[in-house]
Amino acid sequence: MSESVSSSRRTLFKRMAEIIGGLAVWRQVRPALAQQAVSPETGPQIVRVMRPYDAETPVREFTSYVTPNHRFFVRSHFGPPAPELIAEANWRLHVGGLIEHPLELTLTDLKEFERVTITAVVQCSGNGRAFHRPKVPGVQWERGAVGNAQWTGVRLRDVLAKAGIRPSAKHVQLQGADRPVVSSVPLFTRSIPLEKAVHPDTILAYEMNGRPLPLLHGAPLRVITPGWMADSCTKWLTEITVQTDEAKGYYMQTAYRVPVTAIQPNSGLPGTSMVPVEAMVVKSLIASPANGDQVGWGPVTVQGVAWSGEASVAAVELSFDDGKTWEQARLVGEDEPYAWRQWQFLWKPAAAGAVTILCRATDASGQVQPQESPWNPSGFLWNGWDRVSVMVQI
Amino acid sequence: MMIVRTSAIIGAVLLAVAGLAVLTAAQEDDLASVSAALAPRAEGLIVARCSVCHSPDLVAQQRLPKDRWLATVEKMKHWGAEIADDEAELLVRYLSARYHPAAPDQLPPVDSELRKAEPLTQEPADAGPLVGVATRGAGIFEHNCQACHGAGATGGMGPKLAKNPILKHDDLFWETVLHGRGPMPAWGSVLSQQDIADIHTWLLTK
Ligand code: HEC
Ligand code: HEC
Repeated sequence: MSESVSSSRRTLFKRMAEIIGGLAVWRQVRPALAQQAVSPETGPQIVRVMRPYDAETPVREFTSYVTPNHRFFVRSHFGPPAPELIAEANWRLHVGGLIEHPLELTLTDLKEFERVTITAVVQCSGNGRAFHRPKVPGVQWERGAVGNAQWTGVRLRDVLAKAGIRPSAKHVQLQGADRPVVSSVPLFTRSIPLEKAVHPDTILAYEMNGRPLPLLHGAPLRVITPGWMADSCTKWLTEITVQTDEAKGYYMQTAYRVPVTAIQPNSGLPGTSMVPVEAMVVKSLIASPANGDQVGWGPVTVQGVAWSGEASVAAVELSFDDGKTWEQARLVGEDEPYAWRQWQFLWKPAAAGAVTILCRATDASGQVQPQESPWNPSGFLWNGWDRVSVMVQI
Repeated sequence: MMIVRTSAIIGAVLLAVAGLAVLTAAQEDDLASVSAALAPRAEGLIVARCSVCHSPDLVAQQRLPKDRWLATVEKMKHWGAEIADDEAELLVRYLSARYHPAAPDQLPPVDSELRKAEPLTQEPADAGPLVGVATRGAGIFEHNCQACHGAGATGGMGPKLAKNPILKHDDLFWETVLHGRGPMPAWGSVLSQQDIADIHTWLLTK
């Protein structure tokens, strides 16, 4: 490794440290449980892992329709690549495999394709992992590894059309520029089925909420598969390979899979038939009030967001009596296909004391958010009822 | 997604398992004393062996039964964690005693003073001045430092150490290696003084 590479790597590391909340936090080698890192650049985030940096958005941010870039949850397996690898002068997107004409595109070349914008929820497959019982290994995400943003870029199908897809193509493999510290760790190599890749809403995004894609979110280019979990939304994208089979390797063949049918908790590791995590499941969150808030006597606005994978949100209901009775919330604001839907409910507390507010959504295909999600060995796709406990004060 | 949602059955099973996860007070005490006894060495290993690829907070946030800890440590070894069999065995015992499924979300901190106080390898009392052996140092560097400082100590995620001015400042070098600094792990409880002297001597030849 040349000296210039190592010193810029080091600079990157230092910069990341500054980004995530200053040297005080950085200097802390000791394991720390989730901590709030507050900096002018990122705003508050709940840090789950310091290195590589994984952090979730506090749910109170979800009172706004669009999640700002600096609050948006951050997740990757190895952290961002060295800056020189993705600097505009060096960065290229390679398209190869079962195609007629291999492509090597600069960012400027890519911007020649038609520009499209889609507002879509991006959610970590492990969001809510901490709620699965029995507990499962992995980053212990609670509620905020999700966000709604406006993504601008080009259609993956347009790029593939230019390359010319061969008839035997079935899957599209996606590879980013991020690399593990130790080369014996498997790369984060993923693939999506061809149908999803050529879906007109699947895009390669270079902007997030009208700004160039930030480093932590995959600069200069990432995949957005609207309606699907974020394990398909490869960041720092550099290689697209069209092929007959799913991608090989740990992150496709072993990780990011769930049992085809429900299994008993703590069972079913070897031998169970597993399928890749793809579409999101119906889910809602209470953004306000927050857990532990004291609320007054007068009417309280309970509000939040709800979304589903490939169907729109049909209803959001709240319960103030442990799920015995449910009341309809009002769906408000923007109504776009892959975005989340905001909802509100005017609540008049009946008495003083502690109250737990439960929330569940139903989508247009009839999927209802369950009390608990089906257990699976890696804790994916949690969508149990959301709950917030508040104290009503006289 | 084709998950069949038999929530009722799962709910019932969950309740049964939740029952099993409750430990008696005596069992809790046993686990606590195992974890306290192993903490000095195990916490040192977590910093030295496990934080090459990720910070140790990823380890401390898990609450797993022994079989899943064993599988996790095996997986890390397979991926390149430089950990000897006896170290792995001790770690699994510690991790499953401290970070078991019924342990609270917030655990009291491991006493870090405890860790500093007890080096892993006892030095003979009358060792005399340490003389480093460069050829030995090369191997120890490869297993413990190379992942971050690069092959030939030319730098990686950690700074270049070959020809680094710190090599000429013995006290600074020892202080950094023994106690760590920022993302640089503390090696005081993992390597012997002889090991560190060997690395130092080897680095001076680079
Ligand atoms: C060679 C690199 C490397 C080393 C060394 C390493 N790990 Fe990991 N570890 C990983 C990677 C890669 C992941 C997955 C990270 C992710 O998904 O973000 C991981 C994840 C984990 C997880 C989360 C659960 C899971 O399976 O994803 C735990 C717990 C863990 N490691 C424990 C350890 C322990 C204990 C050690 C020391 C014995 C260790 N690791 C050393 C690379 C490493
Ligand atoms: C987990 C990665 C990692 C490992 C493993 C590691 N180091 Fe480091 N080391 C670092 C980082 C990062 C720094 C820079 C710390 C800072 O910025 O303050 C550093 C700094 C140092 C320094 C100070 C350099 C200077 O310019 O001040 C020395 C000396 C050093 N390491 C020696 C070692 C030795 C010897 C080993 C093996 C026994 C080792 N390191 C293993 C990451 C590591």
